[in-house]
Amino acid sequence: MKMASPALSITGLRKQFARPAVDGLDLSIARGELYALLGPNGAGKTTTLRMVAGLLAPDAGRIEVNGIDLALDPAGAKRSMAYLPDDPMLYGKLKPTEYLEFVAGLWGVDAAAAEPRARQLLDWLDLSKHAHELTEGFSRGMKQKLALAGALIHEPQLLILDEPLTGLDAGASRQVKDLLLSHVAKGGTVILTTHILEVAERLAQRIGIIQHGRLIAQGTLEQLRTETAADTLEDMFLQLTGQA
Amino acid sequence: MSTRPGSALWLLRHELRMFWYNMLSSKNGKEPRGFQWKLLAVWLVLWLAVHAGAWFVVGLVSGGDDELPRQLVLAASVLLVATFLFMLSSALKSSVEVLFDRGDMDLLLSSPLPSRSIFAVRLAGVVIGVASIYLFFLAPLAHAGALRGHPRWLALYPVVLGMAAIASAGAMLLTLALVRWLGARRTRVVAQVLGALAGALLFILSQLPNLAVQTGASEGFLLRAARSSAGIPADSPVWLPGRALLGDPLAATAVGVVALLAFALTVALTHRSFTRGLQLAASVAPVTRRPAGELRFRFGRSLASSLIRKEWRLILRDPQLISQVLLQLLYLIPILFLVFRKDGAQNLAVGAGLTLLCGSLSSSLAWVILLAEDAPDLLAAAPSDMRTIRRAKMAAAIGPVLALVCLPVMWLTWRTPLSGLLAAFTVCGVTLGATLIVMWVGKPGPRSAFTRRAQGKGISILFEMSHLFGWGGLAFLLPYTASQPETGLLTAVGMGVAGAVAFGVPFLAWIFRHRSH
Repeated sequence: MKMASPALSITGLRKQFARPAVDGLDLSIARGELYALLGPNGAGKTTTLRMVAGLLAPDAGRIEVNGIDLALDPAGAKRSMAYLPDDPMLYGKLKPTEYLEFVAGLWGVDAAAAEPRARQLLDWLDLSKHAHELTEGFSRGMKQKLALAGALIHEPQLLILDEPLTGLDAGASRQVKDLLLSHVAKGGTVILTTHILEVAERLAQRIGIIQHGRLIAQGTLEQLRTETAADTLEDMFLQLTGQA
Repeated sequence: MSTRPGSALWLLRHELRMFWYNMLSSKNGKEPRGFQWKLLAVWLVLWLAVHAGAWFVVGLVSGGDDELPRQLVLAASVLLVATFLFMLSSALKSSVEVLFDRGDMDLLLSSPLPSRSIFAVRLAGVVIGVASIYLFFLAPLAHAGALRGHPRWLALYPVVLGMAAIASAGAMLLTLALVRWLGARRTRVVAQVLGALAGALLFILSQLPNLAVQTGASEGFLLRAARSSAGIPADSPVWLPGRALLGDPLAATAVGVVALLAFALTVALTHRSFTRGLQLAASVAPVTRRPAGELRFRFGRSLASSLIRKEWRLILRDPQLISQVLLQLLYLIPILFLVFRKDGAQNLAVGAGLTLLCGSLSSSLAWVILLAEDAPDLLAAAPSDMRTIRRAKMAAAIGPVLALVCLPVMWLTWRTPLSGLLAAFTVCGVTLGATLIVMWVGKPGPRSAFTRRAQGKGISILFEMSHLFGWGGLAFLLPYTASQPETGLLTAVGMGVAGAVAFGVPFLAWIFRHRSH
């Protein structure tokens, strides 16, 4: 891992299905940053994140995670990141403890480091009292929190989250947001997509707006406000995407 | 009944349309669009072929006069009892589907339609669905009988429908009772298991005479059966199903009346329970509550060990899946009888039976473990070696199968070493080959689609079946050749073909992997 390199560097990224989903995307996210990637439905957000997570091969372009080229050393790049999709990647017939053991096994986490980390995460996310239940009976919020615990068990530098707060109640949403801020405060990096603009407005240090697979605007909230002369992020978003 | 929108008849028409769509969907794995003329033509040709067979069979069994021969009544009764067990099995599965799996009940129950009508239509849909397949195969017998001078045999139509109604009403009542006693989630599992057992019971019962033959007790068994039936008076209610099927007016009327009563009573008594059952199903929260204790972790396992444990846990905690996979184990029981009886170790069928069972079980487990991964993205996003993951999953699929047949094969080896060793060879070969074929050309899907895993992937089924029978043939012919050194040309050719299929099909699957994946 190169310490001077950004947490995520994307250059000329392209992916085409029936039409171009991602069309020459350039993006750089510094370490310790919480970056929100916004865009209308079908803008290419999820495709971008799936390519970054190594789940989808790009047609062109380059992705570097903490200075490691994803195409050249996928295992090395994946080792320092975690991906949490909209639909949590869980096993209904496993208990939270067993799920965390399995994820730790996939990432090869040492037992001495994994156990205290797992206890801490389950406590933070208020899941300890459900640790002996099968996850198939969990609510949407509990599932999302457990998936987040799984994503954090190996203490990734880069956390990639696709719509992490969709369907969560206020309490669960607060817990997830607190955990993300805590991750960033400790030097970790977060890139997330969300349709809840208020979340991006309150959490993100920088916001990127993507449309038709291209980044059409990027910056801090203040920079975007200056650029668009709009008061709220919603107005900025609608103006930039031509939906106003 | 009116056919205006919102009426019960209109709803029944919708139900039948859904049944038709589901049937089409199950054939080609795609969403049906429009009327499927080609499929209908195939079914029609098949039905005509069944008619030809029926014409031949009826010519053999029917007498010239209108009097019903005793043996024919006995055969018809046995046929109907067997059919009823299968109907009960299908109806239980359909009831669970109607209660738990349909996504339209909230819509229907929130409409102004009376819940009594909804329930009656759903039950009627189950009855028609259950009866249709049996009518398809049995109606040609009635047609052939009618053409050969037994018009009363057309009573098969109302009798089969009546039996389907009785089975469906019983299954629906049982399902609802189970929901009340056990809760919705357990009911689903219990109904699946009962349905599977009802079907499997027939197989086991059908094997009893064979077992009796193998143990030298066949004469006694068959004589006892004949004597028992001879002692039952001709007008006994025991023969009523058979007489009804062959058009005895009184018996057919009795079946019809019982069916109508069962249907009406089920609708009248349970439409409210049905609504309550559905509400319970909708609000079900399958939570395994355990006393909250000290958190215990087992970190530090290797990737392969973590994966194997994960796969086995997921299977062991899914009773529905287990009931579907392990149904095949019930077929092991007759084979085990043969293996462990004192003078049966040389039976050639043992090795072939074990081989066929292992191949079938391996295919099922391999599909569940390799192709029905719940969280494929989690594995793909991990920095783990995919080859290690694949090998661990293969081990998780193969291990239980080999462990299961280990004891019978060891016993066989102890009794007759050569037969045992050959059986061990064919069992290992078929298990590995079946797993590889599924991995290379199988169609991925969710675990819930286990019973529909073959849809839309004909090549996989073709490879799996030919491979299975190739190894089955080898398992039969190898010990046969070993025990009969002077084998003929036919045996040698058979062994060559079986060997070529057993070893060649996995190779073909490997080639097709590169084209399809």
